[in-house]
Parts: sequence; structure tokens; C-alpha cells
Amino acid sequence: MLDTLHGMSRVSQVLADRSARIRELKAQGKKAVGYFCSYVPVEILTAMDLVPVRILGDMDEPVTEMDTVLPTSFCPFLRNCINTVFRGRYDFLDGVVGAHSCDAQEKSIHVWKSKIKYEFYHYLDMPATLHPWGADMYRSSLEKFKSSCEAWTGKPLSGEALEASILAHNRHRSLVRELYELKRFDPPLVSGSDTLRILTAISGLPVDEGSALLEAVIQEARAGKIQADTQDKKRILVVGACLDALPLIRLIEDFDADVVMDDNCMGARTYFRDVSITKDPMQGLASRYLDLTCARTFRETVAGEFRKDHAADLETRFAHLGNYIEKWRVEGVVIQLVRFCDPFGYEVPELKDYLNSINIPNLYLETEYTTGSLAPLKTRLQTFLETLL
Amino acid sequence: MPTDTIKIKRLKAMYRLRAKVDDMYTSGLEAMKDGRPVAWSMVTWWHADPVFKAMDLEVVYPENYAAMVAASGKASRYLDLCDADGFPTHLCGYSRINLGYVSRMVNGCAGGIPPEAPMGGLPKPVMMLSHSMLCDARVKWFQSLGRYMDTPVWMMETALPGVEEWNDPDVRKWSLKLVMDEIEQFIAYLERMLGRKLNRDRYDEMLSDMITLSRLAYKTFELRKATPCPMHSRDFWSVMPPYLYMSGDLKDSIDCYQALYDEVEQRVASRIGAVEPEKYRLLFAELPPWHSLEFFDRLAERGWNFVKESWAYNPPRPLEGLEDISDPVERHARFHLHVATGYHADALADDEYMGYLGYPYVKFAKDYACDGAFFHGLMTCRSASTHHPYTRELLMRKLKIPSFQVEGDLVDLRLFNAEEALRRAEVFEESMDYYRELRQQEHFPADNMQPA
Repeated sequence: MLDTLHGMSRVSQVLADRSARIRELKAQGKKAVGYFCSYVPVEILTAMDLVPVRILGDMDEPVTEMDTVLPTSFCPFLRNCINTVFRGRYDFLDGVVGAHSCDAQEKSIHVWKSKIKYEFYHYLDMPATLHPWGADMYRSSLEKFKSSCEAWTGKPLSGEALEASILAHNRHRSLVRELYELKRFDPPLVSGSDTLRILTAISGLPVDEGSALLEAVIQEARAGKIQADTQDKKRILVVGACLDALPLIRLIEDFDADVVMDDNCMGARTYFRDVSITKDPMQGLASRYLDLTCARTFRETVAGEFRKDHAADLETRFAHLGNYIEKWRVEGVVIQLVRFCDPFGYEVPELKDYLNSINIPNLYLETEYTTGSLAPLKTRLQTFLETLL
Repeated sequence: MPTDTIKIKRLKAMYRLRAKVDDMYTSGLEAMKDGRPVAWSMVTWWHADPVFKAMDLEVVYPENYAAMVAASGKASRYLDLCDADGFPTHLCGYSRINLGYVSRMVNGCAGGIPPEAPMGGLPKPVMMLSHSMLCDARVKWFQSLGRYMDTPVWMMETALPGVEEWNDPDVRKWSLKLVMDEIEQFIAYLERMLGRKLNRDRYDEMLSDMITLSRLAYKTFELRKATPCPMHSRDFWSVMPPYLYMSGDLKDSIDCYQALYDEVEQRVASRIGAVEPEKYRLLFAELPPWHSLEFFDRLAERGWNFVKESWAYNPPRPLEGLEDISDPVERHARFHLHVATGYHADALADDEYMGYLGYPYVKFAKDYACDGAFFHGLMTCRSASTHHPYTRELLMRKLKIPSFQVEGDLVDLRLFNAEEALRRAEVFEESMDYYRELRQQEHFPADNMQPA
């Protein structure tokens, strides 16, 4: 099957059963490692010949297995993801890696470890700032992750293998960026929903297979084979933590708009920054992973300042969005917050301050990571999109 | 129905300690009037407090202040202002009060203290200290005040190693190094800001007092294992600030705590309980409904005595050998690190991996001979709620101890229904009776369980 389907057909095939390819690889003796978040350095897993699998939620699946695991007043995305694991959808996993990228992940990974025993489990503590001494600690933490993988697999990881993996993932990321370049066209050559379908498909494939799939999809898109339509639509940027489900994007598309750009963990946040090739590969990994554009990081314009310059602060934290808005000719921004997400929740008023300062219309929506919870948002979304000139 | 009208017997020595909270705010306001600098700080679990004290910088704690605002019934005005400014309503209730307070201060009072503010209000700070221990709110909240004030924020990191990881010498080493680096960098920042050097002897003295106070508080609370329990959670919450925030003069706090210890010890010797008759001994998790503390009097009337609270607000278990560490920064760092990791070894031995927040309750339930646990699920505090389902299941699985969950909030009265909770409490007593009998029949657990 792998050889007969290409491009978007292959994307559809992978999405029909994300576990199918992993099970094939496991039958060949490979091991699969699950993770949630963009802060897990997949390069190390790939270099160890392990298959990283991003664990996703399912907005249409009721959460039934969490009563003794996580409360309802908790990140509904993560709760849903873990529910899918407890319901057996990821029963092929040999191990799990959790990162202290947010409080919800840090706590849930410990509960999870108490409940389900895997062959391999690793918790990666990490700092919340860009302090140089924190970066030293994080680098040590990555070294421990490497040695933990080595101990589990019984194989040493060479510097060459790690560098090759970094290069493979950099290539993978550059292909995603190439895909996003096609969204700069007007109309975009790839819709927001197709983009998410592609990103979801590659998030459960080995890096080289994912890259091959991206190449095929990009080729199809350039040939105009996956463009949904050519009518003029409003160009929207969606900002938030994690958006791995189609319903919100489809809701936007239903109102003659297209998600041409994003800043979330399934998309740009994960793929728009490469690992620098450094003499010490661990240093390159540490620098890259600590500096992703996630709200979880406490960013300072000037470390140790005595007076805060709010405008400069907003620029430090949100200027990348201004660049996206300009480059992708965004007409409106949807700030999508999953309820109970604290890191992004505290940013909302200031993010709006920033967007208002550059005169870009914006709308804040709070969702509960269920398809049903989107229904009440329809009218607000429709009104917002209609007001865009 | 309650058999007698009983109230919680408050400890006399508690009042002096409780007053030290008021002193903290009074000192902050006096400093502001005198033109001396005041800082705002998150609870840092002793990571920053001895440095503040040694630098003679007045500190107030907006988390604590928000609890006081809620307890005085004045939260809703600030909560509404916060909502109106566009902050999501699910954010930490403490932070929402503070954000609303600052919004009012800046937009409604020309930068001055709002006249209706309880306890005279929070003075405007020259700096704010965020801290990464336990929750994201405490990392992001002060930063989000930037739209109101140009006050700088220093963010202090801590390490939060997992249960199994803490067994690894490398992890211990880098965690310690990070915590020490953060102390040194914070000292350097304050020295630059205040234009004066830290007196290292004074810092050393503050550390010694902190350790003495913490151990004395720990020793006092250990007396609560007695049956009947001599000290109720309400007294615990009242005496918590002097050691958790290191508020006021530390030597005076040590004296006050010695008096508290003596009084509690006397009650143990005389078999005087804080609630009499003590029909049920309970754990309380995590933060109480500050707006409805009289709720506990109603439960006391039913014979419910709350004998132990969360690990997070108790002093850490005493760490052997601290005094032998000559470098004060290392001594300080080891003390702080021990807070979150002090129960990791117990959890690991039991094949459980939530070594703070979750697992300590197993130990507490055994050591304090509890009949049940009361979990206060907080709509706006993930940190104090995430572990509830796991911990409840853990208590039942390991100890056959039932638990009772009441949804509410630490500051928002609208989310808490005391009457409904009391009705359910009555039914929960049947569970506690049933499992008490079951544990006795099954001799479960073996050693240190003392059925009431």
C-alpha cells in the first residue's frame, strides 16, 4: 500500500488509521515512542532508530476513562489525548516521553506513569526562561534523555547518527515551510484543513517517510491538484496552543475564509525553527527547543531590567506574528484558547493589545476541545469574518 | 443531624502568629509611605524569601493578599474588573483578584491604593518576583501586569525532577546547580537594583532562623497525629504565613511557634481535641474556600476534625545534615529542593510517581490515622486540583480510605455551594463508617493505623 498511494491519497490513507504504519514498523522490530508536545526532541528518538509518534486527541470521542486520572477542570486537549491512550488507541506504544513544557503535562505524565507501565518512560524537566544557567541545566537534561534511550535500547548513540537525524528533521521542517509558502498565494494552493490533515499524517510517520510524503504533496499542490477552489476568501491566522482537529478550521472555512497561517503546536511553532548544526549537537538541540514560540516560556526583552517597556515587551513576545501577518497577507486573527490553558490564557489581553497596535482585526475564542462546544461560537465567528473588509 | 453544638477550639497561641500576616501588610504600607522599596513575590517555597529578608526589602505576597480579599468578602469587584479587561475566567482566582486590583489601582485610582482595599491595600512594588514552582500561573501572571505597570519582573526558576529521576545523582547535581545559580543571580539582581551588597552574615543568619522555624513548625504539626487531634486545619491556615512567607521578625516567629508547640503539646497531654467529640479525622486537599471558612465550623458540629493538609503548605520534612553545609547558598538550595522531593523516595518505593501533591497524602492518611479525605476541587487552580482523581483512587487502593470531593473555588464564592456540600457530607459519613469497619475487619493497613 505504501508504494501505490502518493500525495494526498496517502495522507487520507494514513489518517484512516494512524497506527497502521507504526504496526508495520513494529512488525519489523522497531519500537514506537509516544509524546504530546513540540518540546520533545524527536531528533534523539529518530537517531536511536525509534519511531516518534505524536499522541493526538479526538474531538468527537467522549472522554470516558479519566475519572481516576485527571479532573474536568484541566486542559481538555491533554485530557482527551490521554483518554485516547487509556481507551487503547495507542496500545502499540513501547514508551512515552513527557516534557515539563507546561504544568498540565508535567503533572499528567507522573499520573500516567503511575497508571500504565511502559517499557520506557522518560520525563524531561526543563526551565521556563531563557536564562543561560537554565539552558545549561536543560542541556544536561537532554544528555540524560540520550543516555536513557541508550540504556533502554542497549545501543550507543554516536554523534554522527545524531547529526544525521538533526539534518533529516531540518529537511523535514524545511519541507513543511515550503508547504506553508504555497499558502502565501492568493488563493492559497493548500487550504487550512488540508494543511492540518497533512501535518497530522506526518506526525505519526518516521521522519524520512514524512518528508517523502511532504515532497509528493507539495508537487501536487504546485500542480494545482489539491486546491479546493479559487474564489477569493478572507485570509486568517489562527493562534493558540495546540490545534490538531479539523472542526474549528472547517468552521472558519464554512464562512468563506481560509486559514492561511497559524501559530500552534501542530504547525508553524513546531516547524519554523531548525536546529543549528553545531560542533556539539546537544547544544544545537538545547538552543532550538528552549526558544520555540510557545507562551510557556517567560520571555524578557532585557534580562534583569529595572523598568519594563511594555511596547518592547509585546514586540519581543509577539513580533513573529506580525511577520506572519505581513508575509501571508493575513486579514484577521483568531485567537483560539483551549479552556484551562494557563500559559496562553494569560497572554490573551496582551496579544490583543499587540494585534490592535498593528491594526489587525482579531477575535478571541475559547473552546473546550469538543465538536459540540464549537456550535455556540459560530455566530461570533461569522460576525467577525463578515466585518473583515 | 449533629448530636451536639460544637465549635472548633482555637489555639490561643495562634492569634499572635495570625497577627503577623497583618504586620506584613502594615510594614509594606509603612515602607511605601517612607519611600522605601517594596517587592511583590510569589510564594517561592523559601527559594527567594531569605534573600529578601537579608536585603531588608519589604515583601508582600499577592497570592496571600488575594486570599485575604476573598476571606473579607471583597473579591467580586476585582474579579469583575479582571474579566472586563479580557482575561479568561478560568485563570487562577488569586491572579484574577490581583489583576483586577491593579487595573483598579491604575485606571480608577490614578496609581494609588484603592480606598476599599482590605488591610490597607497592596503598596505599589519596585519589582515583582515570579517563580516556576508548581504552576504556570505563577510564571505568567506578573508578566501580564505589564499592560498596567512598568514594574520589572524577575523570574526565578526551580528544578522539578520526577520521582525516579531524583534517584539519579546527575539529576540531583544539575537540579542543585540550577537552584543555586538562581539564588546567586537573584542576589546579583537585587544588589544592582537596590545599590547595596548583600550582607552574607545576615543572609546566613536568616537561613538558620528559617531552618529553625521550619523544624519547629514541623514538630508542632507532628503532634496532630494524636487522638483526639489537638489542632484543626483552621488554626493551621492561620499560623502558616510566618513560616511559608517568613513574614515579620523571624526570631519573634520562633518564639511564637514555641508557644504554639507548648500549647499543642499540653492539649495532647490532656487529651483535648480541637473538635470534641472527634468522630471523624480528615485530610484536607488543597486550598480552602477562603470566602466560606465558617463551613468548617458546620462540619465541626458534626464531629469532623481536619487533622492534616497538603504537603504544599506544610514545612518540609527536616533534612539531616543541613547544618554541616558551610556554603550558605548550597544549604539554602538543598533546603528548597527538598520541599518538592522530600516524599519522592516513599513514592518510588511504592511504585507511584506523583511524589509531591499526590503521594504524600498516602503517608499522611496513615500517620494521622484518617477516616477520610476532603478534596476541594478548584475551578481556577489546576495546580491544586490536577492530582485529585489520582490521589483519591490511590487512597482507596492503598488504604481503603474514602474521599469526598466538593467543587468550588479558592476565591470565587459563586462557585461554592456550602449547603449542598453539607448535605453530601452527611452521606459521606456512612462511607467513613463503612470503611473504618472494613479496615478493622481486614486489619488494614497493618501497623500505624489507629482507628478512631
